[in-house]
Amino acid sequence: MRQKLPLAAAGLLGPATSVVVLMLAAPLALLFRDSLNRFDVTELMIETVTAANYTRFFTETFYWEVLRTTILVAATVAVLCVALGLPLAWRLARTTSRWKSLMMLLVILPLFIGSTVRTVGWMILFARNGMMDSVAGLFGTRVDLMYTTTAVIIGTLSVNLPFMVLTLQSVFEGIDDRLTEAAQGLGATPSRAFWRVVWPLALPGVMISAILSFILGMNAYATPVLLGGPRFQMMAPLVFWEFNTNSNWPFSAALAFILMATTLLLTSLSNFLVPRRYRA
Amino acid sequence: MSLTETDWTDWAGRVALLGLLGLGIAAIFLPMVLTLYLSMFDEQMIVFPPHGYTLAWYGRIAGTFGAAIWTSLQIAVVAVALSLALGIPAGIGLSRHRFRGREALSTFLLSPLTVPGIAVGLAIYILAIWLEEKSGVTLAGSLRLLILAHLLITMPWVIRLCLASLTNHERTTEEAAASLGASPMMVIWRVTLPAMRPGIIAAGLFAFIISFENLEINLFLVAPGITTLSVSVLQYLGYHIDPLVAAVAVAQMVIVGAALLLLDRFVRLGQVLK
Repeated sequence: MRQKLPLAAAGLLGPATSVVVLMLAAPLALLFRDSLNRFDVTELMIETVTAANYTRFFTETFYWEVLRTTILVAATVAVLCVALGLPLAWRLARTTSRWKSLMMLLVILPLFIGSTVRTVGWMILFARNGMMDSVAGLFGTRVDLMYTTTAVIIGTLSVNLPFMVLTLQSVFEGIDDRLTEAAQGLGATPSRAFWRVVWPLALPGVMISAILSFILGMNAYATPVLLGGPRFQMMAPLVFWEFNTNSNWPFSAALAFILMATTLLLTSLSNFLVPRRYRA
Repeated sequence: MSLTETDWTDWAGRVALLGLLGLGIAAIFLPMVLTLYLSMFDEQMIVFPPHGYTLAWYGRIAGTFGAAIWTSLQIAVVAVALSLALGIPAGIGLSRHRFRGREALSTFLLSPLTVPGIAVGLAIYILAIWLEEKSGVTLAGSLRLLILAHLLITMPWVIRLCLASLTNHERTTEEAAASLGASPMMVIWRVTLPAMRPGIIAAGLFAFIISFENLEINLFLVAPGITTLSVSVLQYLGYHIDPLVAAVAVAQMVIVGAALLLLDRFVRLGQVLK
């Protein structure tokens, strides 16, 4: 039964709705308006309507490079996340161990520990004179992974992987185990049963998890800042840098919208990669 | 028995699988284990292997990060209270009433979860400055603004958890109470809310963790003197990596871990996160 918004519902939903309007919709609308303003070194922001901030982004190679790096890192991490997340999620979904809920908790725990805190461990490992470097020193070589793209990819992978495992695990839980048993009963090896029976059923879910990881990677802040160092640039740190160091609000507003639009565009494009019959 | 080709590929596949499992586990847990390890070094910085081990760094956390921890706690506690006050009614409203545009409204209320934090932080800061220019009220760099911003990101979780705890809720008890003369407010207070109790407790804990761990929004809204733990750890790491910051990291892991263990007693976490 559908009706117009009843008074009681308006009372229950009104306050929450006004918070989202005031703290999200209105700020984003103003942010977009500001992205059309002009930046001036002395007056900071001059009110006008221009697409200059957007054209600047697309005409200067430096910013192209930043966007390219961001997409590259996010996509690499998403692919690696699938490769490492699948076996873990499969094991977790099919285990009958009584420790299962503890294992689940161990996967969930990192999700709620900030990415800064979880990057500390990688910094210890990668830093100059850090653990890897010291161990390599015993063999007379040096390993300096700090401030490299590889370090950023490993750090972001580490942050995103628990999300991947958790979503994939629920995908696998949704697939009836008897299907695998039937395939094996008919003579398929376990790996064949997996690739021919489970995999096609899981594919839409795998795709969604990969997209989730990609989105997280596109918006990553702490890992590129801490593991990439000052000369490594990705989109989210660039938004903050333009705001904080250059005080160029119009341009940083434009950057935020370019980041959101690119993420949206690529994630909707990737939907076409999944064969139609497998789409969720 | 000779090794056939299928046996061999099966065996190779199994080894590859074990390798991937090991790598995955290492990718998730190695940094946390290393952080715990470093936090006990009896050294000023990373010297590997260390000369000795100590727990003294944990005692020094308050000296460097005490103020930031206090700010983070204040923000989290108030944000939790507000998000429960606004999120629970919204959850009840969404699950109880069927009206045109309900799906759209529900998507709208959960949308703060999908906008990147960096955009949210920048946008809120810009709005605050704009309002300041119009009204003269100081907002940017205030605790109030941080709390409001955190309300935005914690409330969707509260709504989500309340919706989940009401999906299998039987309306018959509510109807019975109403037909026996209970006012609508009385029905919510005496019937609906008690039924939602585990969901509400979980929502509160969740909201706390989400607020406590936020970094991206805080980046734009902190000011000298009002810095959250996440931001001060990030700033500290920009200059040094030492056992002290590792100890803070471990302390954070322990706090979040404890909250999650508590939460797990009220809701099935795997279900909620879907």
